[in-house]
Formats: sequence, structure tokens, C-alpha cells
Amino acid sequence: MSEAATTLRAPPGALTEGSPYGIPSRKLAMWLFIIADAATFGAILFAYGYLRLANPDWSKPFAFTPTIVNGMVMTVVLLTSSLTMVAGLAAAQSGRTAAGVRWLGVTMLLGLAFAALHLREWFAMIAEGWRLFRNPMGGSPLFGATFFGITGLHLLHVVCGVIVIGVIALGFRRGRFGAGHVEATALYWHFVDLVWMFVFPLVYLMNVR
Amino acid sequence: MTAIAPRPGPTMKLYAVVWIGLILIVGLEVLLTYEHLPAGALLACLLGLALIEAALGVMYFMHLRYERRTLFWSLIPYLLFALVMMDHFWPDALRLMRQRLHGP
Repeated sequence: MSEAATTLRAPPGALTEGSPYGIPSRKLAMWLFIIADAATFGAILFAYGYLRLANPDWSKPFAFTPTIVNGMVMTVVLLTSSLTMVAGLAAAQSGRTAAGVRWLGVTMLLGLAFAALHLREWFAMIAEGWRLFRNPMGGSPLFGATFFGITGLHLLHVVCGVIVIGVIALGFRRGRFGAGHVEATALYWHFVDLVWMFVFPLVYLMNVR
Repeated sequence: MTAIAPRPGPTMKLYAVVWIGLILIVGLEVLLTYEHLPAGALLACLLGLALIEAALGVMYFMHLRYERRTLFWSLIPYLLFALVMMDHFWPDALRLMRQRLHGP
């Protein structure tokens, strides 16, 4: 019996109805969470756009090296982690448990590398005097608030994703979780990747010197 | 009991092609940034490319292309509607931009 069929198991005699979407409930729940989270990030990015447009002294602090180069490396690392995640999901769905766990481990490492690169950049900016409400360049102090707020929320999603992937990978190896759990986790991870596709151009590239 | 048969998804080769495409788009974004375009034109280009990246990711990495269409039509229009509804404050941001005080 497939895992999806197990998910929809009903007591004998009960009336059951097929999913109109043809997907297990956990996957639908993850999609609904993603849509809600996308609206959250959308609202934050819209607020950033408003502040950037309305403030006459918005700072443009980012140089090609190290910030934009670092951002490009972070982007490639995150995109690659999406590729390793689909490799892990493909392995999990075809019953290759060891390979699935291995790919999930690689995805976690790439997520950690992204977080480390991000924190390195944060610490460099903090050393230059940037704070949530302090701008060492003398421009609008809201730059720090929006930069640390948006990238911090995304970083929080990355860190949570790494932890969830670790929990799912352990459970999958022990047979407690199935490929459906890996698939729902993969959806979340790809979403985190997609959010960065908007954060990088809007928060970094639009603020180059 | 209702069994949900797994639907066929993309191959690893197609995933790799999408991954390369996404990286190329990121490179294009950086190149455009240093072309010294007007801010509005640069923003339009970057947003357009980011939307293409998001569409590729949602359709292929997140398999939405391979799910039933009802899932797409139940999710995406509502998200777009919510995002469009957030657009009503741009006139105020533009008003503030035009009211900027210039020094002597």
C-alpha cells in the first residue's frame, strides 16, 4: 500500500471522498503554508519598497566586492541545495533510503554554508557600524531596519529548514517517516530558495554603489 | 479507500537544466545592475527576471506543473490577488518622493 493510501485510510464502512487535488493532506497543508508565507514576504518587500521610495536619503552601501560577490555565491549555494533536495526526494521516492539520506545531508550542509556566508556578511556590516536603526553612512536609519529585518527573516527560514531536514532525514533513515514527509519538506526548502530570488535583486542589487 | 497514485515528475536532467537556467538568470541580473540603467528600468528588469525564476522554481522544483490544475488555480490566483491588493499605497510613496525638499 502506498504511503498516500495509508494517509487516507478510513474506518471500514466510512464514506470517503477522493482529494480534489490528488495529493496527500500534508502536501496540501504545506502548499497552504507556503502561500501564506509568500504573502508575508510579499508584504515585507512591499513595505521595503515603500520606505526606499519615500526616503530621500536612502543609502547604497554595497560594493561589488565583497558584498555582491558574496551574495552571488550565496545564491548559487542555495540554488544548488534545491538541486540536491530534488535528488534526495527522487531517491526517497524510489526506495533508495541511504542515497536519500545522503542527499538530504548535502542539502543541510549547503543550507549551513548559506547561513555562514550570511552571518559573515552581517558581522562585517555590524563592524562597519550598521545597526537596526543606525546608518554609519549618515543616510536613512531605516536601511538597517529593512536590511536586517528582511534578510533576518529569510535566514530564520533557512535555519528552520536545515533543522527540519535533519529531523526528517533521521526519521526517514529509521523508517519513521516516508517519502511523503521528504516531499513536504522539499516544498518548504524550494520556497525558501524562491524567496531569496526576490531578496537578492531587491535588497542587494538595487542598493549597489 | 482512496489511493493517490504518484504523478510522474521531471527527470534529473531537466532539473539540472532548470538549475543552470536559474544561475544564468542570476548572472544576468548582476550584469544588468552594472549597466547603469535608470532605477525604474533596472527595477522592472530585476523584478521580471525574479518572476521568471520563481515560475521556473514553482513549476519544476516544486512540481506544480505536474500536479492537477485545480491545485494551481486554487493557490496562485489568490496569492496574486493578495499581492495586487498591497499595491494601493504606491501613490503615497510616489507623492513623498515628489515632495522631497532640496537643499539650497
